[in-house]
Amino acid sequence: MTRCAPVLLLGLGLAALLGPPPAAAQRPTAEVACAAAGPPFTYDCTIRLRRGDRPLEGAEITITADMPSMPMAHNVRPVVARAGQAPGEYEARLELDMLGEWAIRLRLGGPVRDLLVVHYEFDEAGAHPASGARRHRH
Amino acid sequence: MDLYTIGVLTNIGLLSFLALSAYVLLVAGEMSFGQQAFFGVGAYTAGIATAMFELPLLAAALAAMTLGGGAAVLVGLPTLRLRGLYFAMVTLAAAEMFRILFELLRWQRPVAGEPVGPDGTQGFRGIRWVFEQGVEPAHFLAIIYVLLALLLGVLLLVERSRLGATLRAIGEDPELAAALGADVARLKLGAAAAAGALAGLGGALYAHHNTYIEPRNFDIMLGVHSLAYALIGGLGTALGPVLGVVLDIGLLEGSRLFAGYRMIVFGGLVALILVVRPRGLLDEALVHALRRRLRRAP
Repeated sequence: MTRCAPVLLLGLGLAALLGPPPAAAQRPTAEVACAAAGPPFTYDCTIRLRRGDRPLEGAEITITADMPSMPMAHNVRPVVARAGQAPGEYEARLELDMLGEWAIRLRLGGPVRDLLVVHYEFDEAGAHPASGARRHRH
Repeated sequence: MDLYTIGVLTNIGLLSFLALSAYVLLVAGEMSFGQQAFFGVGAYTAGIATAMFELPLLAAALAAMTLGGGAAVLVGLPTLRLRGLYFAMVTLAAAEMFRILFELLRWQRPVAGEPVGPDGTQGFRGIRWVFEQGVEPAHFLAIIYVLLALLLGVLLLVERSRLGATLRAIGEDPELAAALGADVARLKLGAAAAAGALAGLGGALYAHHNTYIEPRNFDIMLGVHSLAYALIGGLGTALGPVLGVVLDIGLLEGSRLFAGYRMIVFGGLVALILVVRPRGLLDEALVHALRRRLRRAP
């Protein structure tokens, strides 16, 4: 035990110096809120982007969507989001093909280059996170 | 080229691998409702290779083809003695078994401080090799079509060869083919392995295009579609299934004006095509006639 103690102390020291892995703390997260617009299967969506505990501003977001249960069967037109009302908020109108669960893909450019996939259940009123709490970033 | 067009062409390319997989078995005389299982095996294999073990895409694709083909052999060994509807039902059951296995598969390891790997029904996230290598959508589209072109070239060569003729003979009349000396069981198993490898390659590309896969992606709807593409496009040539995919996606996109009724309209159009051309658009008779005409042309 006394022979292991210096090794253990050295290991703990190195771990303290190195700190937490950087990658997980830096990737952005997204939350999507959608309300039904006039035409069928059309939604006005607000995307809230955060990086760590701060809103992510100035991002260029291209949004596409696919249905997990019918992969590659739908070709939703990509939409470029515009800046929203608050910092880290972006707005876009999404035209889907049908109700149900959709995987919304957010391709980010600008200050951060990333690709996020979030799952939402779309109904007549709007969208809510799909079961299984898939709101977290991809 | 805009992102919408790239997206449509990418989906056509990826679905073509699946359609060709179903086509190879159809030529050998078997109708499989289960090629989506090997598509899924390829997707998971390639995702594990790149996301969990940081292998390059080429190695991942080769692994996907190997395991896709291997899985097809495992399914084919006990089932290829069945015929027609019985074989079709067994492939459907086998595909559902694979889908359930994907739901049970939980295997994650830390990569850059985050757990990465299949997580059962929650899916497999973080298949980002293509994205992190800076491959843009248009470049990935080119990769898909280069591979598809190579694959089509190989299949078209095989069709013109003795092997291709033997496979068609087996598909038409296996007893007669056996009487003429063809090793029917071995050739059918070989066709099943090739079909599984094709589907596995498509799955590998799909996983890296999507960056995320889940068991639901590989359910019966995908299998039915893959069969439909091959049947609609025609069984006369390997170009048939690709034509089937193009028509399918084209019809789906063209029927957008029907809004919520477009799937009904699409289904009706598919049924109409099959009533008018039961062996598909590029059937054997048409392909034979076209080849004769090309041979006679100065």
